[in-house]
Amino acid sequence: MADVSYSKNVVREPAAAEATATSSQRWLPGRERWLGIATIVAFLVIWEVVYRLGLMPKWAFPSPWKVVLAFQELIANGKLLTNTAASIGRQITGVLLAALVGIPAGLVLGASPTARAAFLPLCRLLYPIPGIAWIPLAILWFGVGFTSTVFVIFFSGIWSIMFNTMTGVQTLSGQYTDVAKVYLASRSLYTRRILIPGSLPYIITGMRLTYGVGWRVIVGAEMISSITGLGFLIDDARWQLRPDIMICGMITIAMIGWVSENWLFDWIEEKTIVRWGMRTT
Amino acid sequence: MLTAENLHKKYISHGSETSALVDINLRIEEGEFVCLLGPSGCGKSTLLKIIAGLIPATSGRVAINGKLVSGPGPERAVVFQDYALFPWMTVHDNVEFGLEARNIPVAERREISTRLLKVVGLLDFAERFPHQLSGGMKQRVSIARALAVDPSLLLMDEPFGAVDAQTRQLLQDELLRIWREYRKTVVFVTHSIEEAIYLSDRIVVMTARPGRVKQIVAVPDARPRDMASIDMNQRLRQVRAVLGEEIVRAAALEEADLMAGA
Repeated sequence: MADVSYSKNVVREPAAAEATATSSQRWLPGRERWLGIATIVAFLVIWEVVYRLGLMPKWAFPSPWKVVLAFQELIANGKLLTNTAASIGRQITGVLLAALVGIPAGLVLGASPTARAAFLPLCRLLYPIPGIAWIPLAILWFGVGFTSTVFVIFFSGIWSIMFNTMTGVQTLSGQYTDVAKVYLASRSLYTRRILIPGSLPYIITGMRLTYGVGWRVIVGAEMISSITGLGFLIDDARWQLRPDIMICGMITIAMIGWVSENWLFDWIEEKTIVRWGMRTT
Repeated sequence: MLTAENLHKKYISHGSETSALVDINLRIEEGEFVCLLGPSGCGKSTLLKIIAGLIPATSGRVAINGKLVSGPGPERAVVFQDYALFPWMTVHDNVEFGLEARNIPVAERREISTRLLKVVGLLDFAERFPHQLSGGMKQRVSIARALAVDPSLLLMDEPFGAVDAQTRQLLQDELLRIWREYRKTVVFVTHSIEEAIYLSDRIVVMTARPGRVKQIVAVPDARPRDMASIDMNQRLRQVRAVLGEEIVRAAALEEADLMAGA
């Protein structure tokens, strides 16, 4: 039996390698980028066509150009800036709090089987609760505004950073620990110089996910429990029958999310794990 | 002086006991260069780790200058086979790690690491990260890191096993130079007969699993040793004769393991 499955693998592997080789030859990097841009342009064209043909009621379905005009209006009256600033402030506070609690907790969970035995069952129970589900309780506890939104971001985001940090510690090479023992490193030196930098690839991935989750729940949280922020801007536009403003808010959220998730975290990776030759994927 | 008395090591896995080391008795003098030579899986690295204090023996005792070993100590440093450098630290910081652990001031640390990087010829690479170095250079950094804490006993676990043949030769000569200059006691694990003969004062030949001391071969020849000379060839034959049957036995054991595993 073992022999048969082994020979099957041998046959399959070169075929798969060939397939990837030809496809990478056919798709040049320049062409890939053009394809991406073309799809976005096509999306905008379809949007415009749907608008022109009146497939959707005009009061609920703005044209792309109307959205551009709404952007102009929101920038001119300062609403875009103040609401974006409010959302970013909450996001950063919530994510930093999640990191401040999640990273040390993850380090402890990763290093101690006892801590894992004690706390993992509770964590696994709390983890599936969607961030949005915390909003009503958060309003009861903290009222409408900054604190309740931050609380929701914190509770939705902490799991990714905590579990990733834990995995990072657990997968750290035992040899580094041996070196620390040989040179009689103290526990604090070991944590500072080995455990944290050694787990950094996982910690950064965790932060990326935490940030992404936070940015995705913030809108929901602000719609319900806030009178500022991009979520509020979108929700408030509903009462004014201004779908163009809603789309402005959505685009702003997409842009900020895209820039920060791809640029900020890529930059951090570039400065750390890429520089150290630790990138695994 | 390092002594090992009636040392045994057993591993328990899946409820069954496996002996890794049986009744090891050794006595290594100050300043001696001793190789632990044996086929793969004979427990020579286990023995080194016990001496390093990284794993406990099941029974028996290891003592350094009469003091019982119960864990790592300041008089010992280890050079690992796959370098075990920290990828997130520069070469300087890697060399200084042991000094940082001993709370030595930054300026003094830098002075020591600069001096040692000069000794191993890597001062120009001090600000690089390990992944920017070749295998031979990494092992030089690892040796400098070990020397930085000024140990009297240097434990080396197949340190040149992962580098190419030419680099290996170079590193061996460098190690001998350092050993002479710094007067360290060296315990060096290898599975290469040539390497053991080229380097050691004495060779501890170990048996296939479970590891026992089969024979201790003295190599009194003056250094530098010419491996092409008649004397060295004779030594080579002598050690090969002692080790030969163990290598065959180790291969048979390995084959049996693979059969059992399949």
